[in-house]
Formats: sequence, structure tokens, C-alpha cells
Amino acid sequence: MSTATDPLSSRVARFVRERLPAEKLNARQLLIEKEVPQHKASWAYYLGGLALFFFLIQVVTGLMLLFYYQPTVSDAHASVAAISEHVAGGALIRNLHAWSASAMIAVVIVHVLTTFAMKAFARPRELTWVSGMTLALIVFTFGFTGYLLPWNQIAVNATKVGLQSIEALGQYLPGELARWPTYVRETIQGEPSVGQATLSRFFALHVILLPLATVAALGVHLLQVQVHGMSRGVDVEQVKTERFFPFFVIKDLSVWGVAFFVVCVVAMCLPFDALLPYPLLEPFNPLGSTPDGIKPEWYFFFVYYPLEILPYWVVVAGSTLVLGTMFLAPWIFGRTSRRTLRVLALGAAAYFLLMTFFGQTVYEILKGGQP
Amino acid sequence: MKLHRTVVVLLAFAMPAGAHHEFQTFVQSHSGRPVNCALCHTSPDGPEGTGAGQIGSLTEGERERLNRARAAFEPSPVVDSPILNDFGNLLVARLGKRRILELRSKPELVAAELGFANDLDGDGIPDAQEYLDGTHPLSRHHGAPLRLFWHELRAHAFQVAMLFAATAITLYGLISVLRGFALRLQAHESGDAP
Repeated sequence: MSTATDPLSSRVARFVRERLPAEKLNARQLLIEKEVPQHKASWAYYLGGLALFFFLIQVVTGLMLLFYYQPTVSDAHASVAAISEHVAGGALIRNLHAWSASAMIAVVIVHVLTTFAMKAFARPRELTWVSGMTLALIVFTFGFTGYLLPWNQIAVNATKVGLQSIEALGQYLPGELARWPTYVRETIQGEPSVGQATLSRFFALHVILLPLATVAALGVHLLQVQVHGMSRGVDVEQVKTERFFPFFVIKDLSVWGVAFFVVCVVAMCLPFDALLPYPLLEPFNPLGSTPDGIKPEWYFFFVYYPLEILPYWVVVAGSTLVLGTMFLAPWIFGRTSRRTLRVLALGAAAYFLLMTFFGQTVYEILKGGQP
Repeated sequence: MKLHRTVVVLLAFAMPAGAHHEFQTFVQSHSGRPVNCALCHTSPDGPEGTGAGQIGSLTEGERERLNRARAAFEPSPVVDSPILNDFGNLLVARLGKRRILELRSKPELVAAELGFANDLDGDGIPDAQEYLDGTHPLSRHHGAPLRLFWHELRAHAFQVAMLFAATAITLYGLISVLRGFALRLQAHESGDAP
């Protein structure tokens, strides 16, 4: 037990020893003797593996798309169209990439909410939580950067809106700080308007930097999960357990099999583009007018509609507060009961569903007209 | 009736070759999806202008094709206007330009008069239905999601069955291997391993 009188170095060393116990870093402890709790919420233990599975689909299909995709403003749209129209299996691979991206983000959101509700961040799993939150952020950044790559009307215009919202932050900052959001936008954008430099940067982020960051964060996350095992997750002293190997692994594989079948059937039978109005899928025309219906992907609706409804500073302050609170959950909610955490998670889930499925209606009720 | 037809024909020649926004307005309100001139025209910005597929950029030969298409007041077997896409040309060929001008006041009748037999993009959804749904009749990757899904599911039933079999067999194999490893490990731990 650490005390306030211990020197900082000793407390840090104790923290690291507790999170990375050397005696547990062997195959027997990490794999063979690992037990997984069994209770009515055990289904939540499969979500992390499912998110990993969808990420693996992203990697494989993304590598295949790389053979044909051209990251230039003159050819990007045509190369994507060529993949769908002329490459054998191209439409299936592209749809698999798009559908599994959405599935991965949906699963990550549910995973974050369930682990929060189960208090899976409690000591000694703080690093599991922080690395998981980092992964969640990376996944959303994957979505934002990948959205621009087809270089169609919705891609470029939605990216412009996203980048402009970063710059708008400057008006609330004092003195020299007020220019920082502009520097950030210009750095991301690479030129005065969204163009070739932006596409090149987003492409580099999407296919190199973010995957490397994912591998690093995923390594820490998986190691922590295996070292400390799954959190008990419920307020019951005695819970049944099952062996991780082979029983849980077999069930995990079965879930992956079902997910693979479902996402393949959906990708085979429903092009992702069919969900958008066709004018938004036309090549971006810098001289043309902005078409109606420009919106970000569905997983940004929870912040997009509030931005359209509320003052900008309210949304930025709220988002920063929520994000900071989520990252620091192990220290902020360390003494909070699971019951309270469940209520908070349910509230967050309800808000997310409301904004995702009925955000447009909420906007029309509160503001009237289209955003 | 004859006088009415004559007036329509004279008006058609006198009017500029603009897109008919009545159809666009109807499709948007009926389907809830935004659409643009690319539903029927070559250019998404309509026929007027100097861009690709617009009147100002037409060559001499294309102007001749345009004039021939403009004269198609009654239904005709082939219409090949360079400012219209295949769906636009199909509409003029099936209905005739005179009837299309009349239908501007009743755009909801276009689908019924066109009929539900044509499917230019081969996505399983008739062109007339795509007009009503506000989806693109010339893109096989675009259609009302549920209609497209059920059509593709029926069309790919064999592939779906094979995918199911492949997934099930692979899973069965992997699970058997894992069980084998587990049994081997158990035997090793209890000292029964050979």
C-alpha cells in the first residue's frame, strides 16, 4: 500500500510493478490459467475481441484497396469508381471496408459503455482503460481521415466543415492562444483550402500513422487484458468462471465467425453508397455549389447535431469535459458504485441513440428546417 | 386538343433546353432524398453552360444529335441527346417530348407512364421505381437500401450459401484444432501424454 510519504519514484515503480507484474508475464499465466467470469453480462466480454476482428478486416481490405486507390485529387474519385466497377471483387472489398469500419466503431462505442458500466477500469486496470480510450479516439480519427479519401462531394465538404470547426475554437481563446486553432487547421489541411496537401496528409494518417498508433495502443491494451484478466464486472462476490483457453477462445471465435458471415452478406448485398443521396457521391467540384445534405458519418452525429443546435462553446466545453472525464475515469469514478455507473452508461447510450437515429428530428423540433 | 398540342410544340421549340425542376422537386418531396439534374441529364448542373455534357460544350455532331432529339415530340424507338443521360433519353423515347412537357404539372405520373419494365443499370430495381425513390437509375450500386438488399440477396443466394458453408467449416476446423490443443495440454499436465 502506498502512502503519501513515499518518494514519487517509489510510488511510480510500485504502480508499474502492479500493472506489469513480472511473475505473470508467461504463457501459463497469460493463456492457460486465465479464467473468465460468467454471469448475465458476460456477453460484454466478447465486444473487445469483436472490435479487434473488425479492425483486422479493415487491415486486410485496406491493403487490398491500396493496390488500386490513387491519393490525388484528380484521380481519387475515379480510382474508387474503378475499384467498384472494374476490379474483380472490388465492390465487395470496398463495401467490406466501409461496413466493417462502421461495425467496428459501433462495437467500440458499446465496448466503452459496457466496460464503464462494469467498472472494468478499477485498479489495477487503469492502463487497460486508458489504452482502450486511446484506441477509441484512434478509431474515430480513422473514420474522419478515411471519409475524405473517395474525394466526392460529401467527403470534401464534410471535411471542410470539420476543419472549420477546429478553427472556430480560436474565438474563445485569449491573446496569442486564439491563433493556435488556425495553426492546427492549417497544419492538418496543408494549404489554404482542402486540396491535394490535405488528401495526402489524410492518406498518410489513415494508412500509416494511425495503424502504427493502433498497433502500439493495442499491444498495451491486450497485454493488460491478459495480465489482469477480465474484470468481474458485477456486484456479486462469488461468480462462476470458465477457462480462457480453450472455452472462451472457442466462443470468441464463434462470435467472429457469425460477425464475418453477417458483414460479408451485408457487403455483398448492400453497397454502402446506397445509404447516401447520389449527388453527394459525385466527384468534388471546387467551382460548383455545395449540395444539400452534407453531414458527417453517423458516428459523429452525437457531436454534429449539438453543434448545429447549441452555441459552439457549449459543445466544445461539454465535449472536452466528457472526454477528459472518460480518460480519467479510473481516478474520478474509483469509489462510485456499479449501479451509478450503469445509470450513467445507460444515459450516455440513450443520448447517443437519440442523436444518431433522431438527431435530425430533434434539430427540426428545436430549430426548424434542415441543418 | 389539336390547338393544345400545337401550343405545346411551339413552346418546346421556343423554350431554352433547361432542366425541368418540377420533376426534381417532386422526386425530392416524394423520396425525401436530395436529387440533382444528373437524374436525367449528363451534367449534374443541368444542360445550360459550357461544362462537359452541357450545350455550350457540344461539338457540331453533338448539336445535330441534340436537334434530332429535340424533334422527338412523340414516342420514338431511339433518342440520343448528348445533354441527356441514358435515363433521360429513355424518358423522351418512351413518352415523347410533348408528353414530358405536359407532365411537368403532374410529375407523379411519370413513373406509371414510363412503366416498371426497364432497369437500365441492372440493379433489380425498375427505373420508374428509382425515379420515385430518388436513387440513381444508372448506378447499380445505388438504390433504395432495402429493395437493393433483398434483390442482391436473392441474386447471390448461392454465394451466400457457399459463404455460410465456408465459414461454418472453417470454424469447425479451428475449434477442433483448439480442442485438440487443449486435450493435449490437459494430458501433458496430468502426465498421460505419450
